[in-house]
Amino acid sequence: MSYADFRLDGLEESVPEPVQRIAWFVFEWIPLAILVGVWELMSGTVVPSVVLPSPFEVGAAVWELLVTGDVLPHLQISLYRVGVGLALSIVVGVLLGVGMARSQPVENVFEVFLALIYPIPKAALVPLAILWLGVGTETAILIVFLACLLPIVLNSYNAAQDVDQNLIWSAQMMGMPSWKIPLKVVIPATFPSILTGIRQAIPIAFIALVSAELIASNEGVGFEILRYGEVGAYTLMFAVLVIISAAAFFAVRGYEWAERRLIRWT
Amino acid sequence: MVEGHVTISNLEKVYESGGERTKAIDDLSLEVPSGEFLSVVGPSGCGKSTLLYLIAGFLDESAGTIAVDDVPIDGPGTDRGVVFQDYALFPWRTVMGNVTYGLEQKGVDKKERQDTAQKFINMMDLDGFEDKYPKELSGGMKQRVALARTLAYDPKILLMDEPFGALDQPLREALQDHLLDIWRDLEKTVIFITHDVEEAVYLSERVMIMTRHPGTKKTAVEIDVDRTQPREDIIMSDEYTAMKNDVWQSLREETKPQAQL
Amino acid sequence: MDVGSATFDRSSLVSFAKGTVSLAVVLVLWEVVTQLGMIHYYFLPPLSDILFATDSSFVALTADGTLIYHGYLTVRRALVGLVIATVLGIAVGVLSARSKIMSWFWDPIIEVGYPVPVIALVPVFIFWFGTGDVSKIALVTLGCFWPVAINARNATREVDENLIWSARMMGTSDRELLRRVVVPAAAPGIISGLQIALPISLIITFVFEMVAGGGGLGHIEIQGVRSFDSVQVYASLIAIMILGFALDRALRILRHRLLAWT
Ligand SMILES: Nc1ncnc2c1ncn2[C@@H]1O[C@H](COP(=O)(O)OP(=O)(O)OP(=O)(O)O)[C@@H](O)[C@H]1O
Ligand SMILES: [Mg+2]
Repeated sequence: MSYADFRLDGLEESVPEPVQRIAWFVFEWIPLAILVGVWELMSGTVVPSVVLPSPFEVGAAVWELLVTGDVLPHLQISLYRVGVGLALSIVVGVLLGVGMARSQPVENVFEVFLALIYPIPKAALVPLAILWLGVGTETAILIVFLACLLPIVLNSYNAAQDVDQNLIWSAQMMGMPSWKIPLKVVIPATFPSILTGIRQAIPIAFIALVSAELIASNEGVGFEILRYGEVGAYTLMFAVLVIISAAAFFAVRGYEWAERRLIRWT
Repeated sequence: MVEGHVTISNLEKVYESGGERTKAIDDLSLEVPSGEFLSVVGPSGCGKSTLLYLIAGFLDESAGTIAVDDVPIDGPGTDRGVVFQDYALFPWRTVMGNVTYGLEQKGVDKKERQDTAQKFINMMDLDGFEDKYPKELSGGMKQRVALARTLAYDPKILLMDEPFGALDQPLREALQDHLLDIWRDLEKTVIFITHDVEEAVYLSERVMIMTRHPGTKKTAVEIDVDRTQPREDIIMSDEYTAMKNDVWQSLREETKPQAQL
Repeated sequence: MDVGSATFDRSSLVSFAKGTVSLAVVLVLWEVVTQLGMIHYYFLPPLSDILFATDSSFVALTADGTLIYHGYLTVRRALVGLVIATVLGIAVGVLSARSKIMSWFWDPIIEVGYPVPVIALVPVFIFWFGTGDVSKIALVTLGCFWPVAINARNATREVDENLIWSARMMGTSDRELLRRVVVPAAAPGIISGLQIALPISLIITFVFEMVAGGGGLGHIEIQGVRSFDSVQVYASLIAIMILGFALDRALRILRHRLLAWT
């Protein structure tokens, strides 16, 4: 649905542009306001406010957690886990994807292992990671890494296979040594698909992170949600949930924004 | 009374998208008697497709009226059948499934549906392909399925938007002759859009030339030839060449850049 | 990406064979190195122990029905949730692509709801609905709803307008239009949404089982960790792998059947 569908004839002349824009913005977000309103009405009436704290209580708790800084160390460690796991999966995934696409032996060796881990939901690997690495940051990073690996490998593999052969020939003709070609020609040509793979991987990274932290961690936001739930601090539990959701939301949005910037530069 | 006559008066169509207004059709009036074969030619972007979709009832007119048998139209209806340039077949239905669709909607029982559909499939030389999906057919075959699908539910008026535009010359000529046979046998009113002057003149009793954007009716040329002769004789005749020239000249004036007029 | 077809031409058979060789090398290495005691048993037991040579091996746990029963619990939770989410998601997705009011209402909700890591709601659902199947199925439903709804919505938006027009000119009413034209035309996109939702349903089920217990393969697996029985961890992982593979295959076959026309 677009702005034009709701425009009244002649309105655009009589109302200044900024006002129209604000009005449209408000109009667009009314459904969320309705949702929050229903939540507010239900809390304390239909459902006890212990079971469903009102949005104001949750909002206040979010504020409190941020001001007192109680949640910050956990947020920090969680973001560190996501960041390192994702970064590792990008480096390894791109190398693996491009390598498999451009070299038959590399493909022969790795394909079967990727095919084996493909059907496993990566969260099911958390217990295995506990066996190897114990409870904590390493396990979380490993799970994030494994979960993000496949989308990145797949996207860079497909794109590297489609790289225009003429590009490679012309690079060879200009005297580029063959070991440099993957780095200087194939990866740049594959770049947009790699970015797509990363975009697909970000939400997956957060799912993997929270899975690992719920099962195998003594810190981090996933653990905090679980702990607040267990000690009965439900308002705080909801507040941490809001914080991790916001982090995931802004990670995706921030990345999309950066991606558009990057594409415009290149 | 023979049915299927179209009356268009003072038709106007303005597109609005994103606050921008484009006038596509400007004050167009036209009478198409029932059973006539009318072709419409005009420069690209002059509003030919828009006109056809307005008659089909897919678009709403901004001003003016369109009536079929003196009843103003209200949205799409089974009295008008469109043959789209890109076929618009249902890809999840087989050839048979596509051709029977309109009959299903009419509530015709299964046996009769199959028989009617088979008749039109045979008429289009598609027998043996009943169980194929559209993706398995060539462009010319898809266009024949589309024609069979539209004929099967028996609309009084056929609206065709450059239906043979994407086909190669021999195939196009074969389908043109096929269409003429059908038109004569089934007594349909046909409004046929094309950018090919040769095609327009060969097929129709009358050719309407549209002005450049925003389009309206410029003139109409009566094509009066004896269509019982074979194609070669028709297109070789002097009067045919003269009429074709008229249409071509008229269209040329619209296609030429403004400065040279 | 063509997720629907499997090709078996000669070259892929050759590379499959080569791949199998590298797998076999790794498996043999695994067995030899662990039998020689070069890796701590707790980290990586010998392959033979995991497969059949111990009490909690894959074969033993399958034979006494443990893996089958808990596999059934897991599949039931995941699939019931997935089916409910599919019905709701298709309805919301298709309608919000076809109706302005529905899209006004749902678009911002989908926008904000989709990025929420639903898995983080496990403690909340335990608090609200307990640790039983209802709670698990409800969370699976919520998690699978978003990808199904978004894919259904986007696929419906992209349905060729000419198809809708042809249906209308042949006398299809607005209500029939959805069932007879819009949904079939959007089916490839809708099924892609299902293929995205399937692993999500499994992830939520496993994590929920690990955190809250109540049986299921996730529970069996984490139990292995807690009782320091690493063979049981590996054995249940094999079951999980087979299960994930089977469900993925089943969905591909379904896609192939339903979309033979694409
Ligand atoms: N949906 C639309 N929104 C806005 N403008 C449109 C739309 N469809 C067509 N137009 C404009 O209306 C005019 C007529 O378009 P139309 O498609 O009817 O032309 P046409 O004669 O069929 O052209 P062609 O021979 O290239 O098919 C064009 O200027 C086009 O840009
Ligand atoms: Mg056109």
